[in-house]
Amino acid sequence: MKLLEIKNIYKSFSGKKVLAGINLNIESGEISSIFGYSGEGKSTLLKIICGIIKQDNGDIMLNGKNINNLEPYERRAVLVMDEPLLFPHMNVFENIDFGSKLSSNKKRHINNNRNISKSTKEIMELLGIRGLEKRYPDEISMGQAQRVSLARALIVNPEIILMDEPFSNLDIISKTKVRKLIKDINNELKISMLLVTHDIEDVLNLTDKMFILNNGKIQDSGKPKDVLKKPSSMDAAFLLGTENIFEGIISEIDEKNNSIKIKLLNGKQGNSYIETDFQGDFEINEPVFFVIRPEEIIILREDRQTSKPVKENHFLGRIISSVFTSRMMEILIRSEDALEFKVLIPFHAYEVMNLFEGKTVNISLKKSAIHIIKRKKPIKF
Amino acid sequence: MNFNKNKIFDILVYIISFSFFIALALLLSGIFFQTSLNLFIKELKDIRLWNSIFLSFKISFIVILINLIVGIPLAYILSFKRSKISFILDLISTLPLTISPLVIGFAVLITMGSLNPIGRFFIDRGIKFVFTPQGIILVQLIISFPFFVNIAKTSFDSIDRKMLDSAKTIGASSFDSLFKIILPLSYNGILAGLAMSWSRSMGEYAATQMVSGVIPNVTETAPIEVFVKTGYGNYPAAIAIASILMLISMFSLGIFKYFNYKTRTNN
Repeated sequence: MKLLEIKNIYKSFSGKKVLAGINLNIESGEISSIFGYSGEGKSTLLKIICGIIKQDNGDIMLNGKNINNLEPYERRAVLVMDEPLLFPHMNVFENIDFGSKLSSNKKRHINNNRNISKSTKEIMELLGIRGLEKRYPDEISMGQAQRVSLARALIVNPEIILMDEPFSNLDIISKTKVRKLIKDINNELKISMLLVTHDIEDVLNLTDKMFILNNGKIQDSGKPKDVLKKPSSMDAAFLLGTENIFEGIISEIDEKNNSIKIKLLNGKQGNSYIETDFQGDFEINEPVFFVIRPEEIIILREDRQTSKPVKENHFLGRIISSVFTSRMMEILIRSEDALEFKVLIPFHAYEVMNLFEGKTVNISLKKSAIHIIKRKKPIKF
Repeated sequence: MNFNKNKIFDILVYIISFSFFIALALLLSGIFFQTSLNLFIKELKDIRLWNSIFLSFKISFIVILINLIVGIPLAYILSFKRSKISFILDLISTLPLTISPLVIGFAVLITMGSLNPIGRFFIDRGIKFVFTPQGIILVQLIISFPFFVNIAKTSFDSIDRKMLDSAKTIGASSFDSLFKIILPLSYNGILAGLAMSWSRSMGEYAATQMVSGVIPNVTETAPIEVFVKTGYGNYPAAIAIASILMLISMFSLGIFKYFNYKTRTNN
């Protein structure tokens, strides 16, 4: 069921266009996220949804009702920001309980269509902040304060919780904890959430659906995994930090055998070709980009016969660098015709395969993992 | 001993400040050397002296009450609703700070006089502002108002706007925000503002003199009484009232500084 519909939202600040026709829908009970560079108007959009800023144009529908003319306190869309913003003159309990004492919320509780309203104590239990009731905001840690802020939002049983970079001020341990908490709350209370972030980890860890906001428009949307693997445009690909981006020209399309052949334009411009699964709407001789995620590139073992799926798109290359990142080995491989591939493999695989810098290896690009992106302008040489 | 530049700096700063402080203290306490204790106590027993002080208290109490009722909404507009109108309001409410009190008193005297249409309007309805306590309240309000509004505005300014925004989305209307967040958080600032405008009102002389007409026991406030007694050459009486006024000022300034200091350490 559609919970929140945003239709054609425009907003300019002193002549500078920030939002240029935003359209998006959020389903009930889901966690969605808006991802984009800092300063792209993500926060502005959240503020428009909860009514702190008025849009120049466009409609916001919550539960099928137009809320354009409602004051923030009537909207039932609670904003949680990057700082906890607790009331310094109230202790933790009073902070959380603040919303339930307001007349606008008391009225709501009577005819509440989502009657899962919880008591202050239950919510504190859920968020693991019992025992802090009597403390004041300056006596608790940032992570705790952010949880109190979340509890303060939950107590009023809102239709949707809007979160503006809620983890950006947290250290890595609190961040992981609060992320998990948000997931748990979503599971237990079925409360819808819309998260704004510039951290792709937040998107992947938390959200059911993502929207990419770029240049004032929603550029891409879908399940985070799909968007990440198959960005619809180069802008989106860059924004998502996509590695292994190559240029090429489509040389063969064979829909029957589910294949497209692309002539590579990177590297030494030899006769390297690459084969992918059939993907709609391309023409022969069309210049394109294609991407493959670093974890989809396979390093072939020397001692074994290659199985069928890895017989595709072979390149011989040399490992020119390998870096141990927090969980994986990040390897850079340069092929004979000077193509560079970034590959991610688990550390133990790196050891088992006896890889080292300078070693020559065979790699294979899985056909199904290659994603072609349309290119608007032809390439000039 | 090794005198580096920082030490010399400290010594200079302290010497200058302390010598000024001692000069000021001598100047103010000097009036006590002029009278004998017996005369002083005798004058303290004069009922007219206490009448003038009570009148000052009564008037300044009403003045700060009106300040509170009108000043909070105005400070709210100046701090939270920044626009062209608030700029003009700011200008108008601060203007009395820069106009001579004598001129303010004179303006009220003329405007509220029976020859002026505005004054006529009130006089016809039985409300007199000239030579009455109401008139004194009016001029003292005009003069003390900017002190209260500016201090209240400063303490409103220090409240985190993002916090208020997030309170709004939780369900707080403007009433809730004012009474549950803004006022409790600027409690110290408002008390400081009240103490400041109250002491301003207690000590006001020039404008008060203009509209009071110096009617004993009716419009004769304490500062006017000091001037009248001095005029008669009755220095012991003037000294008695002046010293009481000074103590009151010291007391209210103490309150102001205390709450002002608390406001700053809170934020």
